[in-house]
Amino acid sequence: MLGLKKKDRLVEQILASRRVVFRCFCRYALILPVAVFIVVFLVIPYANMVVTSLRPFLSAGRIGHGLTLANYQKALADPYYLKVLGTTVLCGLITTATCLLLGYPIAHHLAQRETKHKGILYAIVLSPLLVGAVVRCYGWMLLLADNGLINSFLQYIGLGKAKLMYNFFGVLVGLVHIYLPFMVLSLIGPIQSVDPTWRSAARTLGASGKRVFWRITFPLSIPGIISGSVLVFLLTVSSYIGPILLGGYSVMVTPMLIVQTILSGVNYPLGAALSFVLVGCIAIAVILIFRATDKLLKGVDIYEA
Amino acid sequence: MATISVTELHKKFRDVVAVDNVSLEISDGELVGLLGPSGCGKTTTLRCIAGLELPDQGRIFFGEEDVTFVPAEKKDIGMVFQNYALFPHLTIFDNVAFGLRTRKVPRAKIKERVDEVLATVHLSGLGQRYPKQLSGGQQQRVALARSLVTRPKVLLLDEPLANLDAKLREQMRFFTRSIQRDLGTTTIYVTHDQAEAMVICDRIAVMFSGSVDQVGNPREIYTKPVTERVADFIGLANLVPARVKSLVSDCLCVLDIPELELAETITATHEGQLSTGQAVILMIRPEGTSLDKVDAETEKDVNSLPVTVKTRTFLGNVLDYRVETANGHVLRVEEGPGKLVEVGAPALLSFPYKNAWTLLVDMDKTISSS
Repeated sequence: MLGLKKKDRLVEQILASRRVVFRCFCRYALILPVAVFIVVFLVIPYANMVVTSLRPFLSAGRIGHGLTLANYQKALADPYYLKVLGTTVLCGLITTATCLLLGYPIAHHLAQRETKHKGILYAIVLSPLLVGAVVRCYGWMLLLADNGLINSFLQYIGLGKAKLMYNFFGVLVGLVHIYLPFMVLSLIGPIQSVDPTWRSAARTLGASGKRVFWRITFPLSIPGIISGSVLVFLLTVSSYIGPILLGGYSVMVTPMLIVQTILSGVNYPLGAALSFVLVGCIAIAVILIFRATDKLLKGVDIYEA
Repeated sequence: MATISVTELHKKFRDVVAVDNVSLEISDGELVGLLGPSGCGKTTTLRCIAGLELPDQGRIFFGEEDVTFVPAEKKDIGMVFQNYALFPHLTIFDNVAFGLRTRKVPRAKIKERVDEVLATVHLSGLGQRYPKQLSGGQQQRVALARSLVTRPKVLLLDEPLANLDAKLREQMRFFTRSIQRDLGTTTIYVTHDQAEAMVICDRIAVMFSGSVDQVGNPREIYTKPVTERVADFIGLANLVPARVKSLVSDCLCVLDIPELELAETITATHEGQLSTGQAVILMIRPEGTSLDKVDAETEKDVNSLPVTVKTRTFLGNVLDYRVETANGHVLRVEEGPGKLVEVGAPALLSFPYKNAWTLLVDMDKTISSS
């Protein structure tokens, strides 16, 4: 009798533990495909890149054994590489700032006013996303080229030619156009979440339209400014097509340098090292942004919590 | 301090008429309530007075000054919003100081004034907190403090207590009222809660679909409503269609009740001109009646109706009866908790002439069924 009961209990325990296993399996089974995909196509290649960046470079296409920091030394000490990195970061900062300056009024308008043309405005803002970056850059090339539309017009009215492309300016124009929608989309939500009664309340307390904006709307949209800026900065410093098409090879940025190192120099270790230096720079920039805005966000965080 | 005068205010939103010919006179230091169901235009009226909306027609005066087109930021007002509208990114101190800073008050003075007003609303020491760290009642008091710190001429309150729980709301009613009385600020108080309006307001303007039906002190509004919807909205009322049979005096008339098919007539009080044969509404408040045994003696100047008791509900402080007249018309009656009449028993419903009030029939029959 007693033995049977014991056995029953054992069976029950086994069944219970099986149920737990099954439940765990169910929970993780859905994530499994993505997890496998990420491990195979992201984690392993990255790990491989880390290792590659530490291998000595023998000659084109040949990677030696052993570990060395020589590639990082070169990536961080070579004045040319540093200059390229500087150009990349500068390009990223200017593009981000320009996108913010241009995007904020658009987002503000789209977020607040009940306009009849809201649909059309959205379409205009988002249209760059519908066309690939290459096509967009070619579009800009038609406008900015030495014998393009703008220069033809300038010549027609007798102002002569201006150098608009294959320089820093051309690259910036292209990048701002490509990444502006990301900034606008990041800003709309937070601006929309600024309760209109806060603005009404500020007005009843004597604040002019300008003051209401700088004291209420703007500080409360800082989360959007941060996320939009981080997003645009990340996308800009890692962009390749814009700089190569609109800058020619006169504006060298790190992604172009990496591609050149790998494809022309067939120097995989240095290419990998350059990539990680870029990632490091991005990480530092993002951390700095979050640090700088931490204090500003104090109250905002509380209201979102 | 100032009087407020609103004349023939109109406001439309696209095709929807929000405010339709509203006129109000508010004297210095008075607290007037705008009472009405949601969507009746009371908040829009308030926002027009605040300068947050521009009226399509009409004039608004603070004292002698025409402020119709003066925007909110140039008016000397304080306003409390239903959701308090505290700035979430600013501390309580900075919230309250906001209005003083826009007015360029010196720093030392700001500190003094903010501390003073926070003490008035019993929130001393909470200045460095953020709004979300405060309870609803505390937030409401911060909103009140913020609107009062600039010592405005006019205080506008838009359902300031609607988001509080019942108990706190009751406390805050008296608190808000006593602060207003101490400061003597001319105040407009928007609410949909009639009990709140009764407690707080010197006078109440009852609004329906964009227009003011009646302005009067709480007692007038309750005992002598001028329209059916006012009678229906304020408290409980039995409303029975009737016809004027004869006029007894300036304030007494005899009514025929066709719907009740009564042999008897009812004598009721009225104000203003009535003519024989005119269709009117008879209003009887449930607490203005008494329910007795059939053979009870009737006093002088009292109407009495034979009824049957349908239901009886014990509500603690009152007994809520539904009684049926001979032809099946149901009336509500409230009696003291000790006065038990059996369900199903015939009874005599009696009410003095002064508790039967004659209303004019509304021009537009928009009365909601209660």
